[in-house]
Amino acid sequence: MASVLLNDAEKTFILHGVEVDLRCDGRRRGDYRPMELETDVVSTASGSARLRLANTDILVGVKTEIDVPYPENPEEGKLEFFVDCSANATPAFEGRGGEDLANEISSRLSRAYQSLPLAPLCIVPKQACWKLYVDILILECGGNFYDAISLAVKAALFNTRVPQVTGSFLDGGSVDLEVSDDPFQCWRLDITKAPVLVTLSKIGDNCVVDPTAEEETCSVASIVVAVLDSGSLTAVIKIGEGSVHEQTLIETIKTAQKIGVELNSSLMTALNQEESLGPKRQRFGFLK
Amino acid sequence: MDLISDQGLRVDGRRAGELRRIRCKLGVYDQPDGSAYLEQGHTKVLAAVYGPHQIRGSRTKALQDSVVINCQYSMATFSTGERKKRPRGDRRSTEMTMLLKQAVSAVIKAELYPRSQIDVFLEVLQADGGNYCACVNAATLALIDAGIPLREYVVACTASLANGKVPLVDISHLEETMGGPNLTVAALPLSGQIAVMEMSQRFHIDHLEEVTQLALQGCRDIYKILDKAVKEHLLETGDFFPQLESN
Amino acid sequence: MLTSKTFLRKTKKGNILKIVREHYLREDIWCGSKVCSECCAKTDDQVLDENPTIACTKHNYGHYLVLDTNVVLDQIDVLEEDVLKNVIILQTVIDEVKHRSSTIYKRLKDVIGDGRRKFYVFVNEHHQDTYIEREQGESINDRNDRAIRTAALWYQKHLKAFPTQKDKRKGIKVILLTDDRKNREEAIKSGLIASSVEDYVEQLTDAKGIGDKLSKRNFTSDISEKDATYPSHLTPAQIHDGIKNGQLIQGSFQASRENYLEGQVNTEKFEKPILVQGRAGLNRAIDGDTVAVELLPEAEWTAPSDIVLQDDETADPEELNEKENLIKEVKVVEKRPTGKIVGIVRRKWRQYCGILQANPMVGSVRNIFVPADRKIPKIRIETRQYELLVSQRIIVAIDSWPRTSRYPLGHFVRALGKIGDKETENEVLLLEHDVPHSKFSDLVLSFLPKMPWIITPEDLKQRVDLRGIDICSVDPPGCTDIDDALHCRPLENGNYEVGVHIADVSHFIRPGTALDNEAASRATTVYLVDKRIDMVPELLSSNLCSLRGNEERFAFSCVWEITKDAKIIHTKFHKSVICSKAAMTYEEAQNIIDDKSQNHSIAVSLRGLNSLAKILKRRRIENGALVLASPEIRFQVDSETHDPIDVEAKKMRETNSMVEEFMLLANISVAEKILQEFPECALLRRHPVPPLPNFDPLIKAGRNQGFEIDVSSGKALADSLDRAHKSDNPYFNTMLRILATRCMMQAVYFASGMLQQEEFFHYGLAAPIYTHFTSPIRRYADIIVHRLLAACIGADKTYGDLLNKQKTQECCHNLNYRNRMAQYAGRASVALHTHLFFRNKIQDEEGYVLFVRKNALQILIPKYGLEGTLYLVPATGQPTANFVYNEEDQSQRCGNIVFHAFDPVTVQLSLDRSNVQHEKLVLKMVKPFIKDFSVPSVQANTGDAVASDDKMDLDVPQTLPEVETPSKRKESETETAQSKKSKKKKKSKN
Repeated sequence: MASVLLNDAEKTFILHGVEVDLRCDGRRRGDYRPMELETDVVSTASGSARLRLANTDILVGVKTEIDVPYPENPEEGKLEFFVDCSANATPAFEGRGGEDLANEISSRLSRAYQSLPLAPLCIVPKQACWKLYVDILILECGGNFYDAISLAVKAALFNTRVPQVTGSFLDGGSVDLEVSDDPFQCWRLDITKAPVLVTLSKIGDNCVVDPTAEEETCSVASIVVAVLDSGSLTAVIKIGEGSVHEQTLIETIKTAQKIGVELNSSLMTALNQEESLGPKRQRFGFLK
Repeated sequence: MDLISDQGLRVDGRRAGELRRIRCKLGVYDQPDGSAYLEQGHTKVLAAVYGPHQIRGSRTKALQDSVVINCQYSMATFSTGERKKRPRGDRRSTEMTMLLKQAVSAVIKAELYPRSQIDVFLEVLQADGGNYCACVNAATLALIDAGIPLREYVVACTASLANGKVPLVDISHLEETMGGPNLTVAALPLSGQIAVMEMSQRFHIDHLEEVTQLALQGCRDIYKILDKAVKEHLLETGDFFPQLESN
Repeated sequence: MLTSKTFLRKTKKGNILKIVREHYLREDIWCGSKVCSECCAKTDDQVLDENPTIACTKHNYGHYLVLDTNVVLDQIDVLEEDVLKNVIILQTVIDEVKHRSSTIYKRLKDVIGDGRRKFYVFVNEHHQDTYIEREQGESINDRNDRAIRTAALWYQKHLKAFPTQKDKRKGIKVILLTDDRKNREEAIKSGLIASSVEDYVEQLTDAKGIGDKLSKRNFTSDISEKDATYPSHLTPAQIHDGIKNGQLIQGSFQASRENYLEGQVNTEKFEKPILVQGRAGLNRAIDGDTVAVELLPEAEWTAPSDIVLQDDETADPEELNEKENLIKEVKVVEKRPTGKIVGIVRRKWRQYCGILQANPMVGSVRNIFVPADRKIPKIRIETRQYELLVSQRIIVAIDSWPRTSRYPLGHFVRALGKIGDKETENEVLLLEHDVPHSKFSDLVLSFLPKMPWIITPEDLKQRVDLRGIDICSVDPPGCTDIDDALHCRPLENGNYEVGVHIADVSHFIRPGTALDNEAASRATTVYLVDKRIDMVPELLSSNLCSLRGNEERFAFSCVWEITKDAKIIHTKFHKSVICSKAAMTYEEAQNIIDDKSQNHSIAVSLRGLNSLAKILKRRRIENGALVLASPEIRFQVDSETHDPIDVEAKKMRETNSMVEEFMLLANISVAEKILQEFPECALLRRHPVPPLPNFDPLIKAGRNQGFEIDVSSGKALADSLDRAHKSDNPYFNTMLRILATRCMMQAVYFASGMLQQEEFFHYGLAAPIYTHFTSPIRRYADIIVHRLLAACIGADKTYGDLLNKQKTQECCHNLNYRNRMAQYAGRASVALHTHLFFRNKIQDEEGYVLFVRKNALQILIPKYGLEGTLYLVPATGQPTANFVYNEEDQSQRCGNIVFHAFDPVTVQLSLDRSNVQHEKLVLKMVKPFIKDFSVPSVQANTGDAVASDDKMDLDVPQTLPEVETPSKRKESETETAQSKKSKKKKKSKN
């Protein structure tokens, strides 16, 4: 990841700030930075969302493709995450520079998203199903990728329209798929089982939510917790070199769970609010 | 399907010499030294410029008398109709990267920054024809946003030939796939210099001139739009120097 | 203003993509009306009248018409009537029509293009006020209907602002014509005036007869199985699925000319066509339709019947059954894949020429139309003009074919003229063969050079001056479009310099002009017996391009240095100026060669050419070039009436062959040159090797006479044909060659980049590569070749389409189609004149049996080049001789008289005019004499020629001779070109 260069004095300053619950940008330890979210920003994708969390800029596009189900899950569709770290975010991502980070994020997302039921994506068992590609593009780095990405992904899935397809068997055993010529004939995913990720970074003896890039360099370890609407957890991931005490871990998870439920509900409020503007609402994209 | 109807309208409703709608914005990001967003119809691109800064990586790349210009062209995997497997690294992207470098090298005053490097990164968010042109135009804006001295703008535009006789400007993806040769020109609109020229397939020499002329006219039209955006941006951000106006 | 259109599309790989396209809405789309002062349209674009008037009893106010898509698709014949003016065509409609039917789209475009008709195209889909988006749950058709209504409403509102002088306050109204009741109701609800086409047209007072042109489509109602004459068709979805899973096969239906209850379906899946028989099996398919066939179990497979069956009379169910039974008898040996048609994928209906069947019911509007083309069924039409039309050749279009109707339903389109009138008959012939024959338009003529035409010093600078060389041309008598000339002179080193000079047509016809487009569309000059339909205007064809004697003309020259034994040392091409010293006929040239006393330069030149040509020909034949035969005749035409007064077989002279050899040589040389320079886009001509099964009839016929015909190669075939002679039958060899000709494939043009080099081979000429260069006045292919060659030698520029192999290939498709049609038209013209010749004539003639069929003999009469069927089994049971058919050795036996193929017979010819549309040549056996069957020779005959049953049907002959018309050289390039069935030697003029 893009390393932010800080000297010891700067690090101490950040550390002391967290200690007294007053962070460099004036937030308290449990505060998020302001976010901006807009869905349906990429017309070539079946669903899309752009989320800006202060300087962190994430664009997610969901593409649908016809595929054959895995033999072990013949009645389920497929879901794949792909993360691309754009060089626009930092020159360090140029070429294959961002690949390690990208792989790390995508594999963890897949794990956290195992809760999402894939059966509705099946068209004809064993023969045809939808494969959803969730393509994540990181356009600017301002810290706290996991939270930002998970919110953007959930919003993009909310926005996704899957075409209505009927499959029928032909005599040869092959399957024929028919699409309606009506572009309105689409269905939407149920995203109640889609988690958001909450990162808590341990800085000194305390944990903060939504760390900035600078705070991330001061943190020795972070806990990422995937939380559903209901408060259920789907994954807990520890990142960073440092170690965390068992007790801290359990407390952190509890905090994260609480935050996660709130985060989920404010996300849904925002999405529903946007949707209530109707399909003709003005789209801002990158022009705002 | 005809590229142009008897009533003189193209498939999307434009006339032969009309550009698609162009909207753009400078300074979309804080972290890069310069950035810009540009959309030309449904083609949408982001450009970021880093530098001039010291050479990254091996110092041996450094040039004694000019700046190293480093470009990257990349396409979001969801930018095309059929999903792209890889955002970059394929032959086409590599070629685009090269052509981009050729275009921006034509305008950057490279001699001012010896032993330094300038990065120009482009990300295509949505591809609907004329991707390269949109990238060049966005790169120009991002370079201006980064405050890098340019000889003048470099502006790119495509042109094609409908039904073997009517030249068309600013070709959409649909028009690209419907056939007909496709000419891409990156030009310096004020001096009328051509920095890059590429053809998708063979062009008969008889048509080359009129099609090139139209592409250049397209470049001049785009230049006006970009220039207006730059001036508005400067007014907004307050960095407006009246002497720029007289330039 | 910008909006976007979203839709889903399935890719070839089976993926489903979301596609979003930009869609710009504009403010600068004008209404096109002259009354409007708001729109800023140029006056040229203001098409619609200020005071639209049409005599209409109901809508007696100024109005414009707006049409919906189905009105255009169904009622295009009504739209083509001049009475309908001031019509607004919406883009929605144009797009839909284009999508649904390319032929109607083209016709609509022609109507729009006709300035007098005042049709205005309103691009409603890009107009900011009339564009509508599809709503949730709305079908695409409903959306389009709504778009049409929206546009009509917009017009209504827009025009209200401009009151005309006549209707002071109201302004011009808009009437929406639609035959869809729902759409009409919706329109009226929203405040529009709407009407069905029929209602509207019937109110028109100035349009007599227009009602006849209304399409009768809406006949389908619930029908019980009992009433249905035909099984029902499968639905498109069923057909689609059936084809996909292999139960059904898609192919194009080809009706039999001889038997109206039989046809075949050509598919990609089977090499052999699938046979379909019987009313239910054919199931309303019409020649050319793309159909879905279901294959019958192999046990039910049959063979094509040998019977000639025509739909002679009106419906008689019993007779029909009998006929159907007749064709059910099957020979086990010749079984072919047989199937039944279960659905129609795409109709290929066009307009048909023909006549009305006599209708005994006076005043009845329901009539039967009999098409001239045997392959097309009769058509039921309604007309109130029976009395007027019954004596005319008319054109009819098919609208639909419901299950309950024995014949398809159609409507009258227009009348061509009186039956039997030669002009009318020629018109029918040209229409039936899709030959463009209208006058050249003013636009086309505007690209002709201005007269007087002079050769400028500039021209001379770019050309080699050959005016001093003794060049001459040799053509048939009366030829006015001379496109080649020759010279030959000895060189000092003992070799010859030989030049072929071809009219430089491409100098006058520049690419992309209207003149060029017209020539490209016509593709070839069409020669009828008494008429020539030029490819290029006469000024070029008969004057400026024609290499007339003693006139300076531009030429494209191909000049060789050739040794005495005809080896080419060197070839060069250049544009030149020549002055032909003599334009001779073959006969004149032959006389000069033969007359040893003449030793002037022309004579020397001709003799040199002649000796070289003989060597060239010998070498060519040694290489395996085929010498094929077709009966060739020539009509002596009365100079005043243009009626044929005599027929003579054509003579071949040495000079014919001389000219031919050099034309072949030039074509081959040019082909090599252009291929070398343009490997991708050279226009070449190939003649594919026929598949071996094609030769079966020839081998069989040869074997029955004790000759083995070796078809393993062209050379082997040529040699075995040479060996097959019978001393007792001098015509035997010629007949065998006629049969061989029929085994050949059609020679075709193609773009070199589309095929592999091995496929370039020209079988007939045994040449690895070939093209057409020598007749640019009458063939468009040669013009393209001239342009390519000119580009090779730097004499001219190339242009985009010339170097585009796809475009070249498209052009080739058209050339091949037109050539084939021109050939058919030429034959049909000969048939027409043969009939004219035999009017009021009865003649005995020598003939030969060409084929023995189950119920007939196919007889060839060399004198007239005629071929026809002689029925041995009459349709009705009159006392007659009993013939026994032996399939083994292909013979018919009656008592002790046996008929084999190639046997000589004497037949009596006369014309049966009882059927005005299909006049028939009637044939009666004279020799050998068979009791109850043969007739006495004509001298003894008292004249009841027509009532005979053994008719020889000649009206659509398949082997009619190519006719020499005064204007066309009889050429004999051994290039074979023939229709699918009849293979006939084509003489190209080279």
